[in-house]
Amino acid sequence: MTPRIRSTALLLGWALAAAIYSGSGLRLQAATLKLQAQLVWGTNDERSPDPKHKPVEAVVKEKLKELPLKWSNYFEINRKNVELSPSGTSKVELSEKCQLEVTSLGGSKLEVILLGKGKETLKRTQALPKGEMLVLGGNAPNATAWLVVLKRIE
Amino acid sequence: MDWEAQLKLQAYLDGELPEAERRRLEATLAQGGQSSLLLAELRQTREVLAGFEKGIQMPESREFFWSKIEREIRRQESPARVPAPVSWAARLRRLLVPASTVALLAIAGFLTIRNDGSSLLPGGTEMETALTDTGAFTYRDYSAGTTLVWLSYPAENEPDDDEDAVTLQ
Repeated sequence: MTPRIRSTALLLGWALAAAIYSGSGLRLQAATLKLQAQLVWGTNDERSPDPKHKPVEAVVKEKLKELPLKWSNYFEINRKNVELSPSGTSKVELSEKCQLEVTSLGGSKLEVILLGKGKETLKRTQALPKGEMLVLGGNAPNATAWLVVLKRIE
Repeated sequence: MDWEAQLKLQAYLDGELPEAERRRLEATLAQGGQSSLLLAELRQTREVLAGFEKGIQMPESREFFWSKIEREIRRQESPARVPAPVSWAARLRRLLVPASTVALLAIAGFLTIRNDGSSLLPGGTEMETALTDTGAFTYRDYSAGTTLVWLSYPAENEPDDDEDAVTLQ
């Protein structure tokens, strides 16, 4: 490599590094995470006995149907939006017995703690990029299921 | 006895005198006197010294030993090198090469991270602790971007604290 080519390559490297660095600064400014937490009831019944329950939106239903779950219908019991600042924590009460504690660990990485009846039941750390979903679930009476759906909006 | 005569005696003792001079000296010595006394003393001294003399064994050959001394003398005699002047471009290049390496590593790091902060590399960090439920399992649908964690909590038909319906609803 001649000195001129080497010098040009070095300058290009610096320019690229500067561009990426400035871009990363902008990205860090917009690091607030917007999440949506839903408490969902899974059943094979066509209708929920509670008229307040409404079917989950189509996008969520499609994703739930792709999972190895045996239920055909899913009803939304409660929904809460969460906004997390970098390294911020938010506690969401989805029902009297079900709470979710979400902590931003930087980037798209989250720590999720599921509290059942006030007790920590599950602690999970994972990345949740935009559009992806984390579903926590378990069996409920009469061959139904409870689900907590955590979705990254932004 | 003069200095010249003493040196001649020493040369005689060492066998270095020419034949004619040696004969003349032997004739003088035969008459006795200071010359013969000095010769006897010199002989005695040489014998004593020869008894104490030890051969010194060099760890290397004579030629090699002297060649080292010769090289050292030449090295000390050679003029000290004057460092060539370094141009500002060369100095800048010296600075830029390691800095560019760091920059390239940073670029590689940034390129493996997506805009949302998640890594492009497979096998991202995931950690799970089932605090009260050892029967939990995890299913990951990569195409749909969905992770399912199924818990046996609360177990079906488990009696509740206050109601018969065991549910998180």
